[in-house]
Order: sequence, then structure tokens, then C-alpha cells
Amino acid sequence: MKGALLLGWRYLAHHRLKTVVLLASVTLMMFLPSATRLLVADSAKALTARAEQTPLLIGAKGSELELVLNALYFHSGRPPEIPHQLLDEIDETGLASPIPLNTRFQTRGAPIVGTNLDYFSFRKLQLSDGRMMGLLGECVVGVNVARSLQVGVGDSLVSSPETVFDLAGVYPLKMNIVGVLESSASADDDAVFVDIRTTWVIQGLGHGHQDLQEATAGSAVLNRSKESITANASLVQYNEITTENVREFHFHGDTTGFPLSAVIAVPANEKDSTLLRGRFQEGTIGGQLVIPGQVLGELLNTVFTVQNYVILGMAMLSLATVAVITLVFLLSQQLRRGEFYTLKRMGASRGFVATLVASELGFVLLGSLLLATLMTWVARTYATEILLTFMTL
Amino acid sequence: MKYILFFITFVLLTACTEKQSDGIDANAVQGAPVVIASNYPLYFFTQKIAGDVIDVRFPEIDGDPAMWAPGGQQSADLQKADLLILNGAGYESWLAFTTLPGGQLLDTTTNVQAMLLPIENEAIHQHGPAGKHSHEGTAFTTWLDPQLAIEQARSIMQGLSQLEPKQAGLFNTNFEELKLQLGQLDQSLAQAFSRLGDQPIIFSHPVYQYLQHRYRINGRSMHWEPEVEPGTKEWIGFGNLLREHPATLMLWEASPIDSVKNKLEQLGVVSMEFNPAGNLPDQGNYFSVMNQNVIRLNLLLSEASEQTK
Repeated sequence: MKGALLLGWRYLAHHRLKTVVLLASVTLMMFLPSATRLLVADSAKALTARAEQTPLLIGAKGSELELVLNALYFHSGRPPEIPHQLLDEIDETGLASPIPLNTRFQTRGAPIVGTNLDYFSFRKLQLSDGRMMGLLGECVVGVNVARSLQVGVGDSLVSSPETVFDLAGVYPLKMNIVGVLESSASADDDAVFVDIRTTWVIQGLGHGHQDLQEATAGSAVLNRSKESITANASLVQYNEITTENVREFHFHGDTTGFPLSAVIAVPANEKDSTLLRGRFQEGTIGGQLVIPGQVLGELLNTVFTVQNYVILGMAMLSLATVAVITLVFLLSQQLRRGEFYTLKRMGASRGFVATLVASELGFVLLGSLLLATLMTWVARTYATEILLTFMTL
Repeated sequence: MKYILFFITFVLLTACTEKQSDGIDANAVQGAPVVIASNYPLYFFTQKIAGDVIDVRFPEIDGDPAMWAPGGQQSADLQKADLLILNGAGYESWLAFTTLPGGQLLDTTTNVQAMLLPIENEAIHQHGPAGKHSHEGTAFTTWLDPQLAIEQARSIMQGLSQLEPKQAGLFNTNFEELKLQLGQLDQSLAQAFSRLGDQPIIFSHPVYQYLQHRYRINGRSMHWEPEVEPGTKEWIGFGNLLREHPATLMLWEASPIDSVKNKLEQLGVVSMEFNPAGNLPDQGNYFSVMNQNVIRLNLLLSEASEQTK
């Protein structure tokens, strides 16, 4: 580098503060609209992909969006429940394979997802370590859960009580981790998976306790007759399911009425899908059926509208920035008149001076472009880590 | 508003995880499909029907498979099977606490519900390390009625045909052959038990309901185990039973210990092993075990007949 370019470079290097302010202004002007558009596009793609992978979703009547967000991303609070019988009814139609979901409970901030093994093949989830849950009380954790909670195969997690002050509520259940899933870059990475019946145990619909027919259970027996034995509150209930006590676990009541938060229905073809939707429209089967892709499409339309307003605002800010930068350059030329005069006296042509000024502007624009590109790449690649770092500070 | 907030969170959390996405392929099944049976008769029937086309397996079980329960790792092994052949009728009590793929379960008694026998007012009891249990519900030793066994085998044949449609013809041929053999066993058992007539007998354990029903045996059940010495209370109960049900023959799942055998003989009751063949036999196969049962019964009845003469 020599001549006007070298002089332009040296000028920028000498006036560091001015150069840094210019670079920051132009970089942000370039970075913010492009990053917003790209991040929204990436997220929309990820959201839509998971929604479109889920053909039909069945849940309690109410907010369609809440149902989709809960069943697909395990987000939102306590979802309204549907009876397990609904799953049997869908199965009996032969029009779709139903996969149950119960997402009501949490453990150390991670959602506990009660389901069956079909969920893993449906979502194409693979194990990176251990095995699938085989017994009540066993769980398989997503890769982010394993990483953030620093747990793995052989460790355990305890279900969180729903309310701290519910002293008469259900006992927390200690769940043994038997497997860790590979990353799927989806909400499954942040969840803990158990058998659907394990969530019913957490809910208190099923439990295990000492045998009331044994002599040692004497103090726990309130009333004993030929037909039944009634226990009192001192009855010891197991808070962990092991191979030794698993046979003692049992459910009270009719399991067809036990709760699910949603059912994923996987029809074999479009015809079956249409027929099943027809059954729900006729009201032959209770609950509501939604197509997750359509529901999220409506949400994304709203988001894109908001995004357009945000980008419009940014464009106006960019125009203002361009005006300020132009003003800075023009004022700078006025201040540098003596410098340009000296250059002319030394034999520099008008073209040389013009090249000098243009090179300074070019260096700033090129530097800003490089920085904006780098920042966009970092934002797309490491946003999760950066966000988690800030959150744990 | 909360949905917009959710979306913003989702944007930050998902935009960058896209790079971590791995290409995930389903495990390709190599070789023959794996089929696991929950008891020995089903294992034997499946082997006979499947021939060499299917990899038929039976879990290594110490004791009565009806009292067996898989551990976590064993459940995971069962999950890998292409088809799990179940006896049904409440035989697999472990289904209540194991996680298995629903689409791969074949209950061989689903189509014969009307032929299943209910059991009522059965006591809870325990023998050995298998834990407490009750026989209340439905009698599950279904294969002791060869006609029911044929229906179970038919169900297996249909299940295997769905698994390997190209081999349906072979499965059907093998099933017909098995059906013929089970029919012959049915005749042998019918002939042997017909010699008993209305003579009362006692079963050591309530597992012979289908045998009793099929061959109209005048039998009553105890809750005795071949390797366990009954207590005084049990002997008193047995004496009371003999007064109202004067049996001279007692069928056992395995030969009882000598002290029990001798004491029974003193009471005029002859012990005979009638192996239900629930678990893998040390020698022979299902038919040889059943034929030995028939031979023992015929021999015993012949001896009794000669003594009467």
C-alpha cells in the first residue's frame, strides 16, 4: 500500500477515536437489519420444521396456539388436560397412530415429558449414551439438560413440587437417568422424557407403598375388614421406583380417565388425515384437533409483520446515520483544507486528494462490512452460548 | 404478548443451534427379524412356525416365567425386538410397569377372550423369591388346553405373516403341521384323562384350570409348591379338603420333596408330576414334556387299575 491509500490508512489510524465511532455507527447500521431478518428467518424455519413434522395435534378445547406451543416446545404453564380414553378412541379409528404427551411437570426447571417409545422414533431421536427408559421411574434426558444440570447415566433427578406450600400434595419422585439423547437442535434437547405412566405416579394417581397385609404395616392401618384395608396418613410411600419395589406400584381408578396434555396423531396418508379431521369436526371424538403448521403460520405472520415495522424503523435510523456521517465527512473536509493545500503545494493533483478522501471512506465502509458480517456470523453461531453466559453472570 | 416473548426467546435459543443439527438415520435392521416370546410354549410354537426365517428368542428365566419381571436393561432388550409374543390373559403382569413399543406387542389370546377362564376369591400368597402374588383374575396357563394352544399358534402365524409377508405361505404350512401335532396331543390327553372318569383329583397349584376345563376333570387346587414343606395349617386344610373331595391322585408342576410325597401316600394320595412346560425344559421340547406327562398318567392309571383288580 502506498500513495493516497497509505496516507488515507495512516489518517484513520492517527484519528483512532473518530475512526472507531465511524466504524461502530456504520457496522451497527449494517448489522442490525440483516441480523434481525436472518435470525427471524432461521427461527421461523426451525419453528415451522417442527410444526410441519407434526401432522396433527389433539388437545383440550381452548387456545390452539397454547396447545401447539405446549406439545411442540413444552412451553407455557399447566396445560388443560384430556382423558387417556381420547387416545384409545383415536387408535380405534385406525386412521392415525396416536402418541401421548403429558407435559405438566418439571424437574429443576426442565420439562418432564411423559410419552411412549413411539415418540422417539417419530422425532428420530437417538441416544448418545445409555438406553431408553424400560421401567416406571426411569428417564432419558435431552443433551442440553445433561449439560446444564451436569447429569448423566446413573444419576437421578427429582420431580419438582407444583406448589411450595402444598404440604398435602404429591411426593416428589426420584427418577433414575438411564439414557442421554443426541442433539436434535430442538425442544427435545431441553426435556426429560419418562413413560407416560411415570407422570401419573408423579401426579399421585399411582403410587407404591408397604404391603398393608404385612404385620409390619400395623400402625399404618386405619381400618381392616374382609373386603378392604384402609391406611392412615402414616403409610410409607416410596419416592423412588426400583426393581425391588416396582411391583408394589399401582394405579387407583380407571386409567382411561387419566390425564394427557396432548396427543400427536400420525396418519398414514392424507386421506386418513382428512377423515380424522372430519371425525373431530362432526364431534364424534371430543377435544380439538389442530394442524400445528397452520397454527404456527398464523403466529409467524404476526411476527413477520412486527419484524417489518422493526426493520422500517431501523432503515429510518440508518438514513439518519448516513446523514450524520456525511455531515462529519463534509465538516472534516473543511477542517482539513490546510492539509489539502499543503499536499497541492507538494505537487499532489486534485485526483490524488480525491483518492485520499475516498480511500478513507472506503476503509471505513469495508471495515464496517467485515465487522457486520463477523457479528452476524457470531450471532447465528454462538447466540445460545452468549445468551447463557449473560444469564448465568 | 406472551407468544411474542416466547418467539423472541425461541429466536435467541434456536437460531444458532441449527448448526448443531446432525443427520439422524434410523437404525437399519440387519439379518432376520427378532421375535421374543414371553414363555416357553409360545417360544416353541413360534420356532416351529417361523423355521429359520425368524430369529426367535426366549429370555433366560430362572423359575416360572409367569412370575418373571424384566429389569430395566432387559426391558430395553425387549424393546429391540421386532415382535413380542405375549401369552395375554394377565400372564405378563410386568407389562404394567415396563415401557414397551405398543405396535410390536402380539397378545396371542386376544382372539379367544370368550374361551378364557375367570378366577375369583383367590388368596394372595408367596413362594420363593418371586414375591407375593394372587391368581385372581384370569387363568393364564392357556396352552394346557391344546385347542387354545392352536388358537395361540394361529395368532403367532398371523403376526409373523404381517412381519414377513413374503414368508406367509411357509408360516401357514408350518402352522398346519403344528396344529396337527397339537391335535394329536389333545387326543392323547383326552384318552388319558377319560380313564379318570369322575374320580376326584387335587392340583398342587391353581395352574391347571384349562386342563381341568378341557378334559372335565373333577379337580380342586391347593397352593403348594413342590420344594416347600407345607405347615400344620396347610396339612389340616388338606385333610379337610380330602373329606369333601376324596382324591387319590395329586398333580404337581414338578416332583414334590420326598417328605411331602410320603406323607401324601400315608393319606392315600399318589403324587404325579404334570409339567405345564412353562419354562425351557432341561431336556426335550414341548411335545416330549407333554407326552411324558401323558405316559406318566397312563402308567399310574394302569397301575391303579391293576391294583384294583
